[in-house]
Amino acid sequence: MELTDLAAVSRARGGDADAFRTLVERHSRAIFRVAYRMTGNEHDADDVVQETFLRAYRQIDRFEERANFGTWVHRIAINCSLDLLRSRGRHEKHRVNDSEDGEMIREFESTDPQPDRLLLSAELQQHVVSALDRLSGNERTAFMLRHFEGMPVEEIGRTLGIQVNAAKHTIFRAVRKLRESLEPFVRSTPCRT
Amino acid sequence: MPHLTEEQLVSHYYQDDEPKGVPEHLGACADCFAQYETIRRVLMLVAEAPVPERSDDYGTQIWNRLRWKLGSDRRRKAGWISGLAVAAALAVAFFAGHFWRAKHEVVPIATTPPSVTALPRDHSDRILLLVVGDHLDSTESVLLEVANADPQKNLDIENERRRAGELVATNRIYRQTATQNGNERIASVLADLEPVLIEISHAGTTLSSNELAELQKRIEAKGLLFKVRVISAETSNPTPRKDNDRESNRI
Repeated sequence: MELTDLAAVSRARGGDADAFRTLVERHSRAIFRVAYRMTGNEHDADDVVQETFLRAYRQIDRFEERANFGTWVHRIAINCSLDLLRSRGRHEKHRVNDSEDGEMIREFESTDPQPDRLLLSAELQQHVVSALDRLSGNERTAFMLRHFEGMPVEEIGRTLGIQVNAAKHTIFRAVRKLRESLEPFVRSTPCRT
Repeated sequence: MPHLTEEQLVSHYYQDDEPKGVPEHLGACADCFAQYETIRRVLMLVAEAPVPERSDDYGTQIWNRLRWKLGSDRRRKAGWISGLAVAAALAVAFFAGHFWRAKHEVVPIATTPPSVTALPRDHSDRILLLVVGDHLDSTESVLLEVANADPQKNLDIENERRRAGELVATNRIYRQTATQNGNERIASVLADLEPVLIEISHAGTTLSSNELAELQKRIEAKGLLFKVRVISAETSNPTPRKDNDRESNRI
């Protein structure tokens, strides 16, 4: 019979390494996805996954049994990602060269930009990645937390240590930048149904 | 109602707090609806941003990388607890011996059996070598984290700070015991380690690049890692120490 997360946590607290291994194996891929979206870098994301489970192991006595282990470890991953981004000073880093961006936009302007078709395009996927990379660290983090994690703005503010209004405007700025980069690919006549 | 702002459209998309009447306005205003559609499509596109796939055995790979770290964590924790217990025993043995010796120095008795005072000292020597080895291993791991960090960047030392705090107390007891036992080499290395451990334990959770560079200089200038490794190797393979004045120390 498969060990539940709660039972695995209980055994891990008692020093059962195999139980903790079960938790690591079960949640690593999901944590990688969060970490990758937050950091935008595979190697950083791998580091975050390791650090997340290391912290989880050290803090496992603090895990409350009524909570969901996946959610708890997810939150640790977000904190680890934030720590990594802060320590690497990526907040003001823009990695994409603007002139290259312009060339890519012109290249795609001549295509028929139907979103579902374009989603199949590897180049477009790369362009989305580039657009996200143009965001500052705070913008990327706030946006990711809102867009992918569904975190309320108030909680994003607390997580980033900024006021709610500042968090809201950080998300607005992120969306504006993404729109500037990606609008050429989605522009079409709106169709009301 | 005037045209909706971009902020209102984004808030509407995420269903955050928004002024009343936004959905109705979108239903009536083609311009605003077009703006909203653009934002919605951009955000949908972003939702499809690729995330590199990890294989099914990714969790196992992570576990294999983690396993030794978790193991050393457990050993460190156990070592710290047993180290403290041994340190306490050493301290008791030392003070008991010291008290016993002082008592007999006041009233010297020529026939005092030598084994009585020699026993705690021989024991403490052996125990000291044993526990100092573990202590130095733990200390080395803390120093390595600091010494190997990139001095151009800030360093999160929350864990190292906590561990250094734990090591300071035992380091002090081992140093005092080594001094009393006449093991000057160990005492000297432990004396060099103490201020660095204290500094790490008193640092903030993050060391600035300047603080980190300064600490790395101190570790390097005193050759701490080298000294720790040498003593650690000696304690893991101890040879009987020639102590010519041992007999003369007996009462």
